[in-house]
Amino acid sequence: MIWDKIIIGAGLYGLYAAKTCGDRGERVLVLEWEESPFQRATYINQARVHMGYHYPRSYATAIKSAHYFNRFVKDYDFCIHQEFDQIYATSDSFSWTNREQFTKFCKAADIPCEELVPEKYFNKGLCDGAYRTREYTYDAGILGHYFVDELKRKINVEMKYGVRIQAIEKQGKHFAVILENGETFETGFLLNATYGSTNQILDLAGIEPFKIKYELCEIILCKPQQQLLDVGITVMDGPFFSVMPFGKTGYHSLTAVAFTPHMSSFDSLPQFKCQEKSEGYCSPRQLGNCNDCQVRPQSAWPYMSTMAEKYLKADYSFSYAGSLFSMKPILKASEVDDSRPTVVRKASENPTFVSVLSGKINTVYDLDEVLKND
Amino acid sequence: MTEKRTNQSIAFDKEKNFVSAVIYVYNDEERIGEFLQKINTVLRTNFENYQIICVNDASEDNSLAVIREIGKTITGTVINVVNMSFYQGVELSMNAGIDLSIGDFVFEFDNLVMDYGADLMMEVYNRCLSGFDIVNAAPKKCGHKSSRLFYRVFNRYSHNPHPLRTENFRILSRRAINRVHSVSRTIPYRKAVYANCGLKIATIVYNNDLSCLKAYGKETRYQRKEMAADSLILFTNVAYKMTILAAVFMMIATFGIGIYTLFSYVFEDVVSGYTSMMLVIVFGFFGVFVILAVIIKYLSMLMELVFSKQKYTIESVETLSE
Ligand SMILES: Cc1cc2nc3c(=O)[nH]c(=O)nc-3n(C[C@H](O)[C@H](O)[C@H](O)COP(=O)(O)OP(=O)(O)OC[C@H]3O[C@@H](n4cnc5c(N)ncnc54)[C@H](O)[C@@H]3O)c2cc1C
Repeated sequence: MIWDKIIIGAGLYGLYAAKTCGDRGERVLVLEWEESPFQRATYINQARVHMGYHYPRSYATAIKSAHYFNRFVKDYDFCIHQEFDQIYATSDSFSWTNREQFTKFCKAADIPCEELVPEKYFNKGLCDGAYRTREYTYDAGILGHYFVDELKRKINVEMKYGVRIQAIEKQGKHFAVILENGETFETGFLLNATYGSTNQILDLAGIEPFKIKYELCEIILCKPQQQLLDVGITVMDGPFFSVMPFGKTGYHSLTAVAFTPHMSSFDSLPQFKCQEKSEGYCSPRQLGNCNDCQVRPQSAWPYMSTMAEKYLKADYSFSYAGSLFSMKPILKASEVDDSRPTVVRKASENPTFVSVLSGKINTVYDLDEVLKND
Repeated sequence: MTEKRTNQSIAFDKEKNFVSAVIYVYNDEERIGEFLQKINTVLRTNFENYQIICVNDASEDNSLAVIREIGKTITGTVINVVNMSFYQGVELSMNAGIDLSIGDFVFEFDNLVMDYGADLMMEVYNRCLSGFDIVNAAPKKCGHKSSRLFYRVFNRYSHNPHPLRTENFRILSRRAINRVHSVSRTIPYRKAVYANCGLKIATIVYNNDLSCLKAYGKETRYQRKEMAADSLILFTNVAYKMTILAAVFMMIATFGIGIYTLFSYVFEDVVSGYTSMMLVIVFGFFGVFVILAVIIKYLSMLMELVFSKQKYTIESVETLSE
């Protein structure tokens, strides 16, 4: 049997594509490495539903985010957490932006921001501007269940977990995906939605890789104390930090630009020193899940929490609950403006091979165009 | 406030305070490697959590490469590098490093000359814990004649409760850093602002070895002279006194000449000579110029303080880890 679409990766991008095509009655197969969906970046990130505030250096990214924000919040309102004040602030020193520039930027990008007195949240002299913004977070757990339930009801969509792909071959008008156990699946349309592993899949298929660097990132989960409970705080744009609700979990995520990335790799296929010690669990050919890895890095909690303490007034305190790790691929072209575009790249047509390197959760709609069947 | 807990095993004999070490680096490729190793050893053995911030003041040699190399070998710690956009001297650069630091206590290393035993660092830290917000480590012998002169003049004309002297490194509490920043926005000369901040200060004087003294490069010498002039004007009343003195002196002189002219006009009936006339003019102008020079200096400093929004200009911040 030949599948209308084979999708590699069951993160948000993979499952969104599966649902979209499944709704049209296409026969879709999803191949996932893990034993369940949403185990990587879709779950392990800051969970922001971006409205653009984060990108004062990239109007294009900001304006696009604002555009997608409403649609995402409407479509997936059941997993959206919005009952909190999201505070953005500009640091007095080391920032790539400042109070005037940020105000101007919000106006230009047409996103609401209400100026506050920085001293309400921050120690004196550390931030020159503070704003209440409209930004929400999403709960990956709830979102994942929704997709699983939706897809379960479709007889034309099949999910395969624990999959080990060995080769991807072009055979005439089809791609054959060959697993280690010998199983083979064929399709005229292959979607590579593996995010951190995207170049590894491209490598299997002999297609030119994306120009990316990799960062092994740590998201700290913490328990907010009373005052911080209904507040999210982000100091940007430079080597600063963020502490904000992690979906509806009751936890806050804590990250810091300088300490969240633990290691980087500039190789086309991700190469890290820790891989040698992982006893085959992780390699440049296939990334393991850092979160489950034996040799995952030590937490940078002392650094991140000390940084937050330096900025935050003592009322806004929190304590350590745990750490999550995930891989972040970053387009080398984004170094200067820190933009996060979603790149959808068609490597071949008939048979079709599409890779998506997502920038953000709510730009998932960028897939619509390429999934169309003309 | 926030509970300190990590998922790593905690060594209970180590200090729980987070310390930062800020190091000024300018064309120091020969010293920086050993220096980093040394202070890292002290910090690692004594502190559970620390960071080292190297402020690279646009070094033209291989300093940055050496730091990056060391960054790879020092495990478990985070070395940050602040790259200044162009040469800005020790004061502005150190301000940048201190602004970036997150520690409860911050070591400031203005230079990489280690003419003391590494355990002096802990002595300074412990003195700080005993109730001093700022503790300096000062060498007993100071080699540079010019700096001795500078401090003598400075201390004579400033009303600092703490006389300044040559210091090698110091530690600051976070409270001191906050205080200093609330006192003045721009900090052109840290030592003077620290001495004036009103918190308790201590100095530990140690016996040093003069042989490892560092010679300053041309740019640094120029920068130091500028800074000396600026701080004499900002933090002392030397210039004011000089100006007043000059003004009073010229007033008396002018008055004297006036009386003399009057006297000779009435009684001696001589036409005043060319030479004496010239003398008066030259002398008068000289005084005016002195005053002008001082005023111009004042103005230029005010300009800088008022118009430059950026305290310093950085190019990038990098985090190095294994
Ligand atoms: C630290 C961090 C913070 C972030 N913060 C935000 C934020 O606040 N807001 C936001 O909108 N975005 C954020 N992002 C970006 C966002 O997380 C991603 O853009 C998005 O989750 C990507 O979704 P995805 O489905 O493409 O990838 P993933 O969710 O990673 O899914 C990829 C899937 O492919 C699977 N896979 C990998 N290799 C194979 C293989 N060989 N065979 C089969 N399956 C395979 C994986 O197991 C995984 O399930 C952040 C990212 C990171 C890393």
